[in-house]
Amino acid sequence: MKRVMKFVIEHLSKKFEKREILRDVHFTFEEGKIYGLLGRNGAGKTTLFNCLNRDLKADGGRFYFDIDGVCREAKAEDIGYVLSTPTVPEFLTGREFLKFFMDINEKSIENPKSIDTYFDYMGIEAEDRDKLLKDYSHGMKNKMQMLINIIAKPNLLLLDEPLTSLDVVVAEEMKQLLRSLKQGRITIFSTHLMDLALDLCDEIVLLNHGELEVVEKTNLDSKEFKDKIIAALREEGHE
Amino acid sequence: MNKTLKISFALKNTYRVNGILFSLKQIPLLKKILPSTLYQVKGLKTFANVLSVIWEMVSMFLGKFLYFLTMVCGIGILYEKLPDNQAFLHILLFLTIIGSFSNTNIFNPTKDKYYAMFLLRMDAREYTLVNYLYAMLKLVIGFLPFTILFGKSMGTPLWLCVLLPFCIAGMKLFVASVSLWDYERRGSGFNENKLSKYVWGWIALLLGVAYGLPAFGLALPEKMTAGIFLLCIPLGVLGMAKVLTFGDYRAINQELLSGLTSQMDFAAKEQIIKKANENKISTDTSISSNQNGFEYLNELFVKRHKKILWNSTKKISYVCMALVAGVLTMSFLKPEIKPTLNEMVMMWLPYFVFIMYAINRGTGFTQALFMNCDHSLLTYSFYKQPKFVLRLFQIRLREIMKINAVPAFIIGIGLALTLFATGGTDNPLHYIILIVSILCMSLFFSIHYLTVYYLLQPYNVGTELKSGTYRLVMTATYMVCFFMMQLRMQLEIFGIMTIVFCVLYSVIASILVYRFAPKTFKLRT
Repeated sequence: MKRVMKFVIEHLSKKFEKREILRDVHFTFEEGKIYGLLGRNGAGKTTLFNCLNRDLKADGGRFYFDIDGVCREAKAEDIGYVLSTPTVPEFLTGREFLKFFMDINEKSIENPKSIDTYFDYMGIEAEDRDKLLKDYSHGMKNKMQMLINIIAKPNLLLLDEPLTSLDVVVAEEMKQLLRSLKQGRITIFSTHLMDLALDLCDEIVLLNHGELEVVEKTNLDSKEFKDKIIAALREEGHE
Repeated sequence: MNKTLKISFALKNTYRVNGILFSLKQIPLLKKILPSTLYQVKGLKTFANVLSVIWEMVSMFLGKFLYFLTMVCGIGILYEKLPDNQAFLHILLFLTIIGSFSNTNIFNPTKDKYYAMFLLRMDAREYTLVNYLYAMLKLVIGFLPFTILFGKSMGTPLWLCVLLPFCIAGMKLFVASVSLWDYERRGSGFNENKLSKYVWGWIALLLGVAYGLPAFGLALPEKMTAGIFLLCIPLGVLGMAKVLTFGDYRAINQELLSGLTSQMDFAAKEQIIKKANENKISTDTSISSNQNGFEYLNELFVKRHKKILWNSTKKISYVCMALVAGVLTMSFLKPEIKPTLNEMVMMWLPYFVFIMYAINRGTGFTQALFMNCDHSLLTYSFYKQPKFVLRLFQIRLREIMKINAVPAFIIGIGLALTLFATGGTDNPLHYIILIVSILCMSLFFSIHYLTVYYLLQPYNVGTELKSGTYRLVMTATYMVCFFMMQLRMQLEIFGIMTIVFCVLYSVIASILVYRFAPKTFKLRT
C-alpha cells in the first residue's frame, strides 16, 4: 500500500520583540503537491521557513510528519532548504562538493548514482565539474544547491524565491525539475511572482496576519483566481 | 550660510545619536530591555544628543591636548641635547606638514558628506565651504590654549604661541588649495584615506626628520622654524582665496565619495568581504585528497587555505627560532646579562600568555572557516545534524591545535634552552614545566577560539558579525592576556597553574560544545 505522508504545523508562533510575525500558523501539507506560498513583503515567509528549518527558534507551536497516521518530529535530514541566493562552499570544486555530500550521507541516499550522472542530470557541463565553486556562475551555483538538496530526497523541500534571479533557460529547467520531483515529497515554494506560482503550484497558500490560509480555486478561471488572490492580499494591507 | 551650518549640524547629530542608540542595542543584556521603538524615545534621544554635543566640544580640545602632550612635547622631552623651544618648534613644524596633507578635512571621505551632498542633495560648494571653514575655526580655537600652555612652558615667546594656530590653519589651507589647483590640472582628486605609496614614503621621511634628527642633536634653528610658520599666514590667505573661488566641489566630492557609496551599500560591502575571503583560496589545481567524508572536507580546506594557515605559522616559527638563536648568541657574547636573562625566564612566564595570544591563528582560522565554508554549508540541513557538527568540531580542533603547536613548541624549547644556557636551575622539573605550560597555552587558545566560535557562531548569512556577546568575549580575552603581561610570578607556580587551568578549561569546553554546539552552531538570523 502506498504511504500517505503529511506535514503538519500546529499553532506555530514567532514574535520579534512586540511584533507578531507568525501568530498562529496551523496547516497540513500533503505529499505529492507543490504549494505556492504567497505573501506581501515582510509577511513572514522567510521567518516561517527559518522556523521550519530550525534556523530560528519558534516561540510556540510544533510541526511534525504524519506518516500513515504515525507522528514523528521533523529531523534535519527531512528538510531541504534552497535559498534565493545560492550558497556553496567556495573552496571546493563541484565534484568535490558532491563527493563530500555523498560520502557523509552514504547511508541515507537510496540507489546512489555516479557523480557524473548527477551532473548530467542537472545539465552541468563536463568542463565545469572540476572548477572551484567560487568560479561558478549564479545559475550554476543554484543548480548545485538544488542538486544537493534533492539527492538526499528530503521529505520536505522548502524553496525561498529560488527562480527569481535565474535566466529564462535555467528557470525553465528548474521548473521542469521541480515538477518531476514532486512525487513522494512535499514542496513549499515561496515567490512574489504570481504567474510562476499559478503555473507551477498545485495549491496557493497565503501568509496573512501571521496565519496560513489556502485560496480555493474551485470553478474560477485563472484571471478570476488571480483577482481573488490579489484581493485577499490587499485586504490584509488595509487592516 | 547659517542655515547650511545648522542643517549639517543637525544631520551629523542625528546620525551620531542614532549611532549611539544602535550601539546600545548591540550590548547583550541591554538589547533585551531596550524596545525596537528606541529611536522614538525622547529621553534617550536627548541623552544621546547631550553626549553628541559633549563630543563636539571634547573633540575640539581633547585631541589637541593629547597631541601636544604626547607627540609634540612628550617625545620632545627625550631630546636633552637641544634647547626645549628648538625641539618643540622643530617637531611641531614637521608634524604640521604631515597633517597638512594627511588630515585635510576637505579631502576626507566621511559619511556626513555623502548624506548631505548626495542623499539630501545639498549644494556641494556651500556645504563643503561652510563645513571646511567651521573646521578651520575649530582648529584655531582648539589649538590656541595648548600652543600657549605648552609653548610657554617650552620657552616659546607668547606672540608666537598666539600666532601658531593661525600658522597651522594657514598651512592646511595652502596645501588644500594646491590640491584643488592640482585637481583642475589633472582632473583627479586627492583622497586622504587612500594615500599612495609615494605619499606614505614622504610621511615616513618627514617623521624621520621630525623625530630622528633631534635624536642626533640636530634641529632646524628656531628663527627658521618660526619664519616658516609665519610664512604660512600669507600663504594661508592665498589658499583661502583659492578655496573660496574653486567651482567644482560637486565633482571633487563625487570622486572622493565614490568609494564610500559602495561601502555603504550593504550588498556591495558584502560582496567585497566575500571576494577578499575567496581570494584566500588557493587555485592550485593539483590539490586533492584521498580521504573520505569530513576528513576529506577538512583536508581540502586546510590545503586550499595553506597561505593563511600554515604559511603564517611557519613564518612565526622562523621568527621565533631566530629570536631564540639571537638570545642564546647574546648570552654567549655578553655573559654578564646571563643572570638577568635567567631571572626573566624564571619570572616572566605570564608574559608569554600575551605572546601566545598574539601569535595564535584562532581568529584567522575561524574567520576563514566561516566565510569560505560554514557560511554556505550551514544553509544545508544535512550539515547541521548534531553528530556531524561534533565530528567536524573534533577534526577542526585537531587541525588548529597542530597549527598553533609548532611555534609554541619552538618557544617552549627556546625558553628551556635559554634557561639552561644562562646558568640553569636547581630543579630539572622547571624545563618540563616551561615546555608543557607553553604548549598548554597554545592548546588553550586553540580550544578557546574554536569553542567560542561553535557556541556563539557570531555571523549571519550576510557575513556580518552579529553577536555582541562574541565581541565581549573577544575583548575580555584580550584584556586578560594584556593583564598577564604585567604579572610576574615564579615559574613553577604559574606554570602549574597554567597547566591545571588548561586541562580544566578543555574539559569544560568539551562538555559545553557537546551539550550546546548542535543547537548553537547555526547561521544567525
